[in-house]
Amino acid sequence: MGQNDGAAIEAVLAGDRDAFGELVKRHTRMLFRLAWRMTGNEADADDVVQEAFLRAYQKLATFEARADFGTWIYRIALHCALDRLQRRRAEEARRKSEVADPEEDAVQVADLRPGPERLAMSAEIGALQEFAMRGLTAMERTAFVLRHMEDRSTEEIAAALEVTPNTAKQSVYRAVRKVRHRLMQMKVMA
Amino acid sequence: MKHLTEEELVERYYGEGADAAGVHLEECAECAASLAMLENELAPMRVADVPERSADYAEQMWARVEAGLPPRPAKPSQVARPTLWRALRFAAAGAVVVAGAFYGGTVYEHWQQHKTQAKVQPAPAAPAQPKVVVVVLGDHLDRSERLLVELKHADAESPEVVNPLRDEAQSLLAANREFRDDAVKEGDPALTLALNHLDSLLTEIANQPGGLDAAGLARIRSEMNADGLLFEVRVLRSKNPHRTKAVRVLARGGAA
Repeated sequence: MGQNDGAAIEAVLAGDRDAFGELVKRHTRMLFRLAWRMTGNEADADDVVQEAFLRAYQKLATFEARADFGTWIYRIALHCALDRLQRRRAEEARRKSEVADPEEDAVQVADLRPGPERLAMSAEIGALQEFAMRGLTAMERTAFVLRHMEDRSTEEIAAALEVTPNTAKQSVYRAVRKVRHRLMQMKVMA
Repeated sequence: MKHLTEEELVERYYGEGADAAGVHLEECAECAASLAMLENELAPMRVADVPERSADYAEQMWARVEAGLPPRPAKPSQVARPTLWRALRFAAAGAVVVAGAFYGGTVYEHWQQHKTQAKVQPAPAAPAQPKVVVVVLGDHLDRSERLLVELKHADAESPEVVNPLRDEAQSLLAANREFRDDAVKEGDPALTLALNHLDSLLTEIANQPGGLDAAGLARIRSEMNADGLLFEVRVLRSKNPHRTKAVRVLARGGAA
């Protein structure tokens, strides 16, 4: 753990709440990067970062002094993002099911997808990545973001997600297959 | 020559996997080409395109976080400290007096009991109180509808989707049976039919031997006609808004 983090944590536990501000300021950008990659949405990412720090503040007394605060808060943010993805997925499923007419549903789904022209012409890599990852489950998306974008090892992913290394590896593999399939679809559409 | 599987190629792509796979890639042009294709396809996903944040983003975030923190405990002022210390001393002295009196009373009581040889039967332990839960039929149908929608879209390969489904089905079962029995008593055939159907489906989901898997979920969806049931539940809710206000009190746990 960074020496500064350790001192700040001790100060917070001794009652100096402003010292927590130092931790927030030091780790915010790293968490935003992760949260944005996970959610693909700036407003959601901001909320995830805020929620992660609030959870960390509540649990700070349980934090082990030997551990690395950066790793600890990273995992908390990861779980906050995962929760948000699962909630979003359930809401989307609910909204879709409320569309009784299958034709109407088809139109709505088509509208949600960025068209091939828009994607081909646009330099928005973020939109392309979001489209490619749309079919992933929350677990697969997390595993893929950690492996592919955050360069985390299988063991680190397994520890962060509290699953076995084999489950983590399988999640990455399934995610890669689905992403490739989506990218292929997009090429055909273009 | 046995070529590398897609899974092995993905492992190599991320710098993992067996050394033998690396040796094979050096010798096999076909697998090397497959790996190159994989690298090429996934290249756009490598680009880091995180949106820019303003220079004072960290300060803004701290302001947001601070607003959500519990209020600061009031710190005693320097002036108040001697008074506080004196009060604490008085409290400690009082506590010693009370403890002494309690000890004396206990010794006296024990001596009295010994003297009279009275046999006192221990009081029977109070039965555990059941937890009372009030359930409204409308809420029950809402939750059931949500479960059916999630079942319809569930990715059965993913335990974080399947396990909550099973847990929710287990928690809905008791209330569903109570409402079904009420519907039978009140002679409401449509509600009885739908809740019977729901009971069978919830039982299936809640009690799958060995847990739910992809095949199990697909079978339940088709054999139990989950889509039809979803429709039935929606019709019930929309046609009988007054009926959905029915309330049932359930006792859970303890000696019900």
